[in-house]
Amino acid sequence: MTKYEKADVFNDAEVTADPYPFFEYLREMGPVTRDPLRDDVVHVTGYDEGNSIFKDDENFSAVDCTTGPFLPYAFDRSRDMDEQIADCRKQFPFADSIINQDLPAHNRSKSILNGIITPARLKANEEFMHTLANEIIDEFIDDGRFDVVSQYGQPFAQLVIADLLGVPKEDHNEVRGLIGAPDQMPGTLGGQFDFANNPLMKMGMHFVQYITDRRANPRDDVLTRLAHQTVDDGSLPDPLEVVAVATFLFGAGQDTTVQLFTGMMRYLSEYPDLEDRLRADRSRIPDFIEEVLRMQGTTKSTFRLCRRPITVGGVDIAPGTHVMLHLAGMNRDPRKFENPGKFDMDRSNLRTHVTFGRGIHACAGGPLARAEGRVSLERMFDRFRNIRIDEEKHGSPGQWEFDYLMNYSLRGVLEMQVLFDRID
Amino acid sequence: MVKITYIEDNGERHTVDAPLGLSMMKAAVNQGIEAIVAECGGNCACGTCRVYIPEEWRDRLQPPEESESEMIQYSGDEDPGVRLSCQIPVTEELDGIEVRMPKSQY
Ligand code: HEM
Ligand code: FES
Repeated sequence: MTKYEKADVFNDAEVTADPYPFFEYLREMGPVTRDPLRDDVVHVTGYDEGNSIFKDDENFSAVDCTTGPFLPYAFDRSRDMDEQIADCRKQFPFADSIINQDLPAHNRSKSILNGIITPARLKANEEFMHTLANEIIDEFIDDGRFDVVSQYGQPFAQLVIADLLGVPKEDHNEVRGLIGAPDQMPGTLGGQFDFANNPLMKMGMHFVQYITDRRANPRDDVLTRLAHQTVDDGSLPDPLEVVAVATFLFGAGQDTTVQLFTGMMRYLSEYPDLEDRLRADRSRIPDFIEEVLRMQGTTKSTFRLCRRPITVGGVDIAPGTHVMLHLAGMNRDPRKFENPGKFDMDRSNLRTHVTFGRGIHACAGGPLARAEGRVSLERMFDRFRNIRIDEEKHGSPGQWEFDYLMNYSLRGVLEMQVLFDRID
Repeated sequence: MVKITYIEDNGERHTVDAPLGLSMMKAAVNQGIEAIVAECGGNCACGTCRVYIPEEWRDRLQPPEESESEMIQYSGDEDPGVRLSCQIPVTEELDGIEVRMPKSQY
């Protein structure tokens, strides 16, 4: 596997399109290993090693979680890291969003979030999903085909979050239009991204209005509860803090969930008997989803910034090092998952994958994403059968031709045409 | 420090010296007890840090808050002694407690 000796994971389109051989190359050198090119990056593909880093908030910061070494801030590795991290946050507000915060600030955002994603809310949200799935399927049911990304995944994921947050139905159409171009996301190859042009900004403005309105004129609705949610010290947060968490959900729950759908379609196409098996016993759908998540998790890699000298997996990590945690690599660690490259929804430790991360930043949307996958597949099974990727467009199983997101954190396809036979 | 014993489903026992103020979850995770998965790191959001409190100890703990009860219900675990260990602070009163852990946290 020598071709990876000079691989540049942050720029290389080939590694991005098929990252798994690169992760195996790294694994051969050890569960924790230095970057072939950069001295400020360390890679982790080991399951246990990665989890120990996720749980260590003392020695690692999440400030670089979404960007890795392309934070627009020059860290001086000989100086105290904590001070510089605080300074970086002051200069770049995106480095202070919930996913990038450390303790104790993270507790504050988390209490706002916990007010939004409650088990009761999730239940009501799931009912909305059933109706929404049917409505979206109606839009293409006559065509016998659809693009999983733009025709199903994007509107579905977007409107599910809108409903979760209690965005009034009359505003849903506008929300549906607010989907960012792939190169506006952190993690874009080359390290350039344009956050200012991100449509989330527009979403944020809506939420400022919602929150200030509901504080002035409380109603019996979700937005009112969100507007009055207190933080960990019992105080009412600034409306902008609430807005930051609410809009973050649209970003976090969008492309990630879309690719859960493309992942499901991929394996239904690769294993044609799978559809019949799942139809015959729909109680296995959650297991199917877990294995899709393990094999094709959207967040292939995430980051932590080392704050204090520490040794993990026998490798000394110096302060200022960006640790690249390859979730997709950890999910294929043969010490944890037997025959890890094989899709097998019968494995006993299915749910122990790390596709949603671990520790204080573990995905808040895990239960939601799982429900989105389950409800969608249920509805699709009710409305059509013989679900298969269009081979004329995308080649044949195992040798698929897709255009991938050119992103070093997120894994996903830009388009996936799927064919089906209508039932109703 | 107080002594807490975590008992696996197969009977294996782990007794740890838990510092006051930490959560019962953190005290276990810090000692590498793998039967406490704690996916969400103590945010009361995953239900994978469940322990079973023996009957005679149940009154000595603060009762669960609404968020903990909701999450336990969501997890589907109906054991009468079930609690989320991330929501239980280690206090002097807990010295000597022995809790069981589920066979699987999922
Ligand atoms: C299959 C779909 C999804 C995947 C694979 C995914 C993956 C992840 C991962 C890996 C993290 C942690 C990153 C880290 O610690 O470095 C994360 C965090 C997060 N996710 Fe998701 N996610 C998904 C769907 C969602 C949805 C639907 C929502 C919204 C409801 C959401 C909201 C969040 C939030 C708020 C965080 C930050 C939590 C914190 O920092 O405390 N995610 N996600
Ligand atoms: S650690 Fe997640 S609920 Fe306790």
